[in-house]
Amino acid sequence: MSIFNNAALLIGVPLLFAFSIPLFGLISKQLTKWVTLFVIGFNATFSLYILLAHKYPAVVVMGNWVPPFGENLYIGPVAAFLVSVISIIGLLIAIYNLWAIKLGDVTRFSVLFLMFTAGASGIVLTGDIFNLFIFMEITGISSYALAAYGPRRRALGGAFKFLVVSSIGSTLYLLGVTLIYTQLGTLNIAEIAARINQTTPGLLTFAGILLISGLAVEAELFPFNGWVPDTYTGAVSGVSASLSGIAAISGVYALFRIAMTVLGRDGAYVFTYGKLDLMTVIAILATTTVIIGELSALSQKNVKKMLAYSSMAQMGLVAVGFSIGSKLGVYGGIFQLVNHSIAKSMLFLIIGVLAAAGLGEKVENFRGLWRRSPFLSLAFTIGAFSMLGFPLFAGFWSKFAIVGASIQRGGWYDFVIGLVLFASIVEAFYYLRIVTYIFSSTEVKAPKIKVSLSPAIPIFVLAVAIIAIGVYPNFIGNFSMQSAGEFTHKMTGYVLNVIPTIVAH
Amino acid sequence: MQEFLQNWIYLIASVSLIGVGLYIVLTKENIFKIIVGLNIIESGTNLFMVAIGWHPNAVMPIYTATDHLVANGKVIAADPLPQSLVLTAIVIGLGTTALALTIGIKIFEKYGTLDVRKIKEAEE
Repeated sequence: MSIFNNAALLIGVPLLFAFSIPLFGLISKQLTKWVTLFVIGFNATFSLYILLAHKYPAVVVMGNWVPPFGENLYIGPVAAFLVSVISIIGLLIAIYNLWAIKLGDVTRFSVLFLMFTAGASGIVLTGDIFNLFIFMEITGISSYALAAYGPRRRALGGAFKFLVVSSIGSTLYLLGVTLIYTQLGTLNIAEIAARINQTTPGLLTFAGILLISGLAVEAELFPFNGWVPDTYTGAVSGVSASLSGIAAISGVYALFRIAMTVLGRDGAYVFTYGKLDLMTVIAILATTTVIIGELSALSQKNVKKMLAYSSMAQMGLVAVGFSIGSKLGVYGGIFQLVNHSIAKSMLFLIIGVLAAAGLGEKVENFRGLWRRSPFLSLAFTIGAFSMLGFPLFAGFWSKFAIVGASIQRGGWYDFVIGLVLFASIVEAFYYLRIVTYIFSSTEVKAPKIKVSLSPAIPIFVLAVAIIAIGVYPNFIGNFSMQSAGEFTHKMTGYVLNVIPTIVAH
Repeated sequence: MQEFLQNWIYLIASVSLIGVGLYIVLTKENIFKIIVGLNIIESGTNLFMVAIGWHPNAVMPIYTATDHLVANGKVIAADPLPQSLVLTAIVIGLGTTALALTIGIKIFEKYGTLDVRKIKEAEE
């Protein structure tokens, strides 16, 4: 167990600045956006340093109380990798917000955005099952408020729906945590994971169902994802981008940290303890999510709503990849998660730029966009190709890995091959429909769209990232593979790194 | 009967509170009633958490306050940790409720109604 206490700054600095931003707001409203940018920039630099200088696996110990007695943060391969992705995407969205957030209360928007990224990083870093709940609520409450931001009134309805569903979800999660606490008397993830076999199987199954249903809200799985279309459509584009790019990562992470590390048992394929294999339950829910999400996206005329349903379907694919339970499957899941965040946040940012230029959200409005803005058209096409898994774009490699993992596992998981192909075909249909509209050669009278520098930087960087991952997948792939090992080998990958002396029961 | 009540009344009450709250959230159309339902669910959870750390014969978990913390080799003090967790959960519940009420007020300003069905009609 190596100790690296400075990593607590990844949560501490954003929280400190979040609450001192009103002071900067007294000087100038523009300044608050720059402060947000620099703080998230610090997070991005520091997490990249941890990732590239290979400072993990390490434990942050609060007040010298070594785990399992104190609360701790754990920086393994997963946390180092996902925090880097979260803060880099957060940094790019903060650059976009410099231009996009002009109306209304800019100061409070900056406070909420910083809290949101701090909470999302906290979910990924924490090693305590109750702290996970607290960070979920920090992320949750700030994202309800962010979703309600903006001039349009339909944002309010979406935010309220999100609030109701998500707070019921976190209450269920808290009940599950309490049930596990009654059995084991500890809240430390590593200790619970090592001793999970000591619990009563019936109660463990019940607690597991409560935990999974609570976390599935943020991970956008089927019966709990009714909030997705309304919230994504209502919110301003920067917020939709951060919900699909940042909150989704932490949601999926939390779901599978609980399902695989806490409740799972080691083996070639991860199963869960208790009377019911929760990994199979998640696989069924995720399959339903993919089918429903893709078919609903197909019938949408509104591009933003279509992206929301597509986001739901992609999260389903991610969950299918994880629920295969082998190293290759989890690798595919994490890779798909990162690719989806990059591509979907870019698409939402493009929609935001287009909306500011007066273009509607209907599919027909995209007709002849190529002549009005070649840059945005190319970026949109790159994002769409990555979403549907076209070769030499990022999404291809992750879908390929998920198919490979399902072949390796065999059994009824062969079904996943059909599912991925089905998803790709339906996605090809509705994404290429827009791309056809963009490149259709009708003459347009409307003037060219000028993209100013601050929204152009994030869109350009994300588009280049998609191509770079597509051509050279090994860089992200290596990190995904290391992360997959942490999920599938819970004792050597996680528990023994946190509490070296513990013996599994 | 008395023993049964002593042991189970709080758990039964908390689970019924959660059930009542879920019923309200799922069936009511008024936004204010939905927020009340959310609060009832939260109260149920908080009661559940306090109840699991409690025992009819338990004493307060302060070592110097009593010399009966251990009787017959068993610790009979109440578990203090769930109470501190409940404190956090109550604060979070307060924040969520305040935000929900704020959004509710905004919805009433913009739509002129708190009925979920009428809001949906106004959107289409």
